[in-house]
Amino acid sequence: MKTLIIAISIITLVAIAIIPQIHFASAQLAQTQSAKQYINLRAEVWNEFFRMTTAAFTVGAIVSGTMIWLVWRFRESNPKNKAPTKWEHLEDPTAGSYEEEGH
Amino acid sequence: MGHDTAEWVFVAIVIAVLCYVGVDSWMVQKEVEDVPADAEVIKVTGQQWFWSFEHADGTKEISTLHVKKGHAYLFEIQSRDVMHSFNIPDWVVFEDAVPGHTNHAWFAPDQVGTYPIQCREYCGLLHYNMRGSLVVEDDNST
Repeated sequence: MKTLIIAISIITLVAIAIIPQIHFASAQLAQTQSAKQYINLRAEVWNEFFRMTTAAFTVGAIVSGTMIWLVWRFRESNPKNKAPTKWEHLEDPTAGSYEEEGH
Repeated sequence: MGHDTAEWVFVAIVIAVLCYVGVDSWMVQKEVEDVPADAEVIKVTGQQWFWSFEHADGTKEISTLHVKKGHAYLFEIQSRDVMHSFNIPDWVVFEDAVPGHTNHAWFAPDQVGTYPIQCREYCGLLHYNMRGSLVVEDDNST
């Protein structure tokens, strides 16, 4: 599963790097075909702004979503948290170790 | 799905998005800064408190700049006294005018009309009035 995730991530990264190159190459090609064909600076800049906004909101959603899930999952009232963990069974919780827990 | 996998997915998505941000911004910047080879040079000089322009053929203009639709123009922006900033908001031209240094910006208007030019760097008492006009005219020669 981990290998699959890494493979998909690498493919995604390569695609992300290549797609703008194709876009740039086609724009260059269009420019050489017609000397009077210029890029529209306003459109390029605003398109970039909206793409970056989308990226920023995506990262924000992932990070805040993870934090919300974390708080919800590990809240005291969650039924999944009813059974004490291995450490909570110990008289001295500092005597346990995470390695022994096997996570 | 174990914790490990979830963490990997989390890390991979965030790294992928950040890589996208870097690569895409870099490409767009390269595209935007790529001045067309046939761009006509216009020397722009800022001084307290007006703009003056000199075309490639030696024609000089003060405060009002006339250009042709469908042509590319490269601005060579200078200042004679203090810092100014040459800005044509409608055409996303925005570059500092620095004494002793030449900055560059280019644009290719595709719409006829009159557009405001302004100074966007506080440059003294009459900064607010350091305005001009860009007049984009139809190119009758084509």
